[in-house]
Amino acid sequence: MIEIKHVNKRYGKQQVLDDINLSFDKGRSIALIGPNGSGKTTLMKSVLGLVIPDTGSIEVFGESIDRGPDYRKNIGYMPQINRFPEQMKVNKLFQLMIGLRSDVSKDSYDLSLYRDLEIEKMAGKTLGSLSGGMKQQVSASLAFYFDPEILILDEPTAALDPISNEVLKKKIRSAMESEKLVITTSHILSDLEEISNHVIYLQDGSVHFNKSIESLKQETEETKLNKMIVALLQSEKSHAKN
Amino acid sequence: MQKISNIVFQDLLKNKVVVGYFLLLSLIGWGMFMIESHPQKVILTLLQVTLMILPLMTVVFATIYYYNSQEFILMLLSQPIHRKRLFRGLFFGLALAFALAYLFGLGLPLLIFYPSAESVFLLSSGLFLSFSFTAIALFMSTHLHDKARGMGAALVVWAVFAFVYDGLLLLFMYQFSDYPIEKAVLVLSFFNPIDIARILVIMKTEASAMLGLSGAVFKDFFGSSTGVYISAAVLSAWVLIPFAIARRKFIRKDL
Repeated sequence: MIEIKHVNKRYGKQQVLDDINLSFDKGRSIALIGPNGSGKTTLMKSVLGLVIPDTGSIEVFGESIDRGPDYRKNIGYMPQINRFPEQMKVNKLFQLMIGLRSDVSKDSYDLSLYRDLEIEKMAGKTLGSLSGGMKQQVSASLAFYFDPEILILDEPTAALDPISNEVLKKKIRSAMESEKLVITTSHILSDLEEISNHVIYLQDGSVHFNKSIESLKQETEETKLNKMIVALLQSEKSHAKN
Repeated sequence: MQKISNIVFQDLLKNKVVVGYFLLLSLIGWGMFMIESHPQKVILTLLQVTLMILPLMTVVFATIYYYNSQEFILMLLSQPIHRKRLFRGLFFGLALAFALAYLFGLGLPLLIFYPSAESVFLLSSGLFLSFSFTAIALFMSTHLHDKARGMGAALVVWAVFAFVYDGLLLLFMYQFSDYPIEKAVLVLSFFNPIDIARILVIMKTEASAMLGLSGAVFKDFFGSSTGVYISAAVLSAWVLIPFAIARRKFIRKDL
């Protein structure tokens, strides 16, 4: 569904993405992890056309993303920072998004997250008065609202309370089961292991490893994702020393 | 584009700064006509307001608005929307909000107390300046990544166009007064939208003593009717050129 070929991006002296080659298929739920500043958000934004790579190509559904914004019909995005116009009411925001997406018919809206996160209860509030977690709930239900084939979630659970956290994770799991492609970044590995079947570790702008959780389990003989990652990184370090 | 400009416009109508701007202009507009019985004098005061307060408010607020909307712009652009369209919508939403605040703030008292060609010229130059300074604000905020720098640049640009440029022009004319510099002055005045707006209005009033040298040269060179067309054309360029450069940058920018 997504093909990333030889993508490079520099910000000044810093090489943020260094010859990235990745291919994502449907049914995958990818945990995109790595230290701060390793290029996770930049990579996601490149797929969305929000960051323009210096070189390389990105294809979504077999079409280059340079050919116009229509490919984004298939993508739901949850940004890392959610900031909406302060005076706008929540229901107004949904109306406005619906107005922008006249390509999606009314009966194909996916309202489950909207309902389960109880967005209706905040409908009359202004977006400026919502807490960080509530904004994240709004943003999550918007990302799923138009029932996209691809979901790109940038730290989706960072500010959520335990209940909303579970609701969102359940939703991501069901998206995974219905053969969608989900890409999630987070530093909360315990959240990620419940919602993903594949791990990509970025470091200094390049792909350090790209493995399914199953093969990670076999390689490291651990059951927890955080232990697997640590074990893998440590074994590589000792290899490097020898 | 219409949808986007609607969103921005409606958001701005509820914004305290825009409402405050409208109230301030109304207060000055109605107040001046209450305390001064000669409308010709009032119009000169309102001209000063148009040339000083309008550019300051527009450039500073539009800059802040752009930086504060960055995350929302990001979200909108994750939908299937062309960057070009989004940018046009943002520009028109902002410019229309300022233009309407100005038209209703100063326009109502002007047209009620002094319905005349002068008033119409004053209002149209105010409209041009609203659009132009919105475009200038977007030009700077799309080029500068840092909000504090963007704000600083907005203030500097305002100060330059509002008084520094005039001071330098005066110095230039004083230094070279022995030479035939009329044409140079004429060309130099094109580089300041506030100057052109001032000339456009004053050519139509009886206060031609306030034209200044650049205005006098202008009137002399073009005559007052061609002068009007020329100044309107220059003001349009001051809307279109910053807008085009800002849009070009916005389309290629990392958000």
